[in-house]
Amino acid sequence: MTALAGAEMVEAGPSHLRALVETLERRLHARDEQRRAMLHIMGDLNESNKRLASQRKAMIHILADYEQDRRRLAQQAERLDNSRRALLHILQDSHKDNLRLEASRKAMIHIMGDLQETTIEVKRREQELRDKQEQLVQAGKLATLGELTTGVAHELNNPLNNIGLFVGNAVDMVALGAIDKERIVREMERAMQQVRKATEIISHLRTFGRAAPYSRDPVSLRVVLIQALSLMQEQLRLRNIQVTVDLGGEDPVVLGNPLQLEQVFINLLTNARDAVADSSRKTVRIAVTVDSEAAEITVADSGPGIPPGLERRIFDPFFTTKEVGQGTGLGLSITYGIINDVGGTISVVSPPGEGATFVVRLPLAPPDTKEIPRQ
Amino acid sequence: MTSLSVLIVDDDQALLEALPEAMRLRMGGVTVETADSAAAALDRIAERDYDAIVTDIRMPGMDGLKLLDEIRTRKPDIPTLIITGHGDNDLVVHALRGGARDFIQKPIDRDYFVAALYRAIREHVAARQIKERHEAMESWADELERVVEKLERDLQAQPGRSES
Repeated sequence: MTALAGAEMVEAGPSHLRALVETLERRLHARDEQRRAMLHIMGDLNESNKRLASQRKAMIHILADYEQDRRRLAQQAERLDNSRRALLHILQDSHKDNLRLEASRKAMIHIMGDLQETTIEVKRREQELRDKQEQLVQAGKLATLGELTTGVAHELNNPLNNIGLFVGNAVDMVALGAIDKERIVREMERAMQQVRKATEIISHLRTFGRAAPYSRDPVSLRVVLIQALSLMQEQLRLRNIQVTVDLGGEDPVVLGNPLQLEQVFINLLTNARDAVADSSRKTVRIAVTVDSEAAEITVADSGPGIPPGLERRIFDPFFTTKEVGQGTGLGLSITYGIINDVGGTISVVSPPGEGATFVVRLPLAPPDTKEIPRQ
Repeated sequence: MTSLSVLIVDDDQALLEALPEAMRLRMGGVTVETADSAAAALDRIAERDYDAIVTDIRMPGMDGLKLLDEIRTRKPDIPTLIITGHGDNDLVVHALRGGARDFIQKPIDRDYFVAALYRAIREHVAARQIKERHEAMESWADELERVVEKLERDLQAQPGRSES
């Protein structure tokens, strides 16, 4: 250009030159303006460049952070994966457990079923046992009755014999044509008295032999003891056994079945009777005392006593010290059972050299209960 | 025979009323006494002789067998009959060995009882008669012997009869 401008100056005059200078000045000015704008732009660019650099630095930081986060995430992902796998295992296990649980549940249902059957069976057995126990009491009673009958047969023979004689006398009087009517009537009345005596003995035996179901009725202890003694007294009397009875001043009302309680004392008296059989002094003492809760009845004999160590065994079924055929071994176990059923206790004390003393405690009936009259 | 006397021993008061009445009706003129225990019976026996004793075997205190023993030692001649219950066979054998004359089972058959009692008394009376006669004979024999001895002594004492 400059070369162009020089050429133009040569061809043109001063006016041209001025114009050229002016043009050149304008151009220069424009170029200067452009340069200044360029400088501005350069400055701006510089600024931008600086900003960019700092942004780049920040970016690098962010990237580093990002990288860190990414790594952390990767780790977490791995951990999660592990957890997932573990969970899967657990789920599998739990499924197996579920299966096992189900099997157990089924087994359990079976067992429950069995248990129910067993319970029913146990209940049935219990009932059976109760029935058997009642049968045992009855069997024991019949055994007692058997023993009593031998004694009672003799007792019955006496009134029977007397009846025969009195009636025979009346027959003789009539046959001989006795005019004394009153004598005949007197013989017949005496015969009737003996019939009543025999009837009493038999009716008592019959009452005693009846099956007596377990019950807890209020019962007069005094009546029970008197009934038991009346069945036994002839046997005791004939064996020269001295019986002392102290019923105490009161008439305690206890709970139980009168026939079963009667059997308790018949059994104890039978034992006492047999215990003193070979003793030189034959005594049986019966005493009743009453406290606030129970009536205590002691039956003491003058026999040889119970050998040490047997005090507990004597209440076992079929345990007997008597000769074979002399006792069933059931008496005391039945006695124990009856007393136990009514909430009472029986024990025995037998100090060496003294006889045996049985102590029976029977709970008193509540005071408002009334005794049921005995038929 | 003069009036017979019999002692009945039993602890049953009714029997002590019934049996003596039966005996009075069946055995005219018999005297019946009663005792309600063996001890009472022994007191009676000590007081007088009976022609027979009838005792129950089962009694409290001293029983019929012990009473029988006592009678055997105190008055061995008196026939004793034992009343036994039905089926007391062992006791019957015991009693018969112990010297009882007979036994009567309860319930008592009156015909049997009267017959047994009469027989026992008759035997007793007969035995007593035999014994009495035996004793009489013995005393006669003694007497006879004494007479013979006396005669012999008399004969020896006669001077004319002595050998010269």
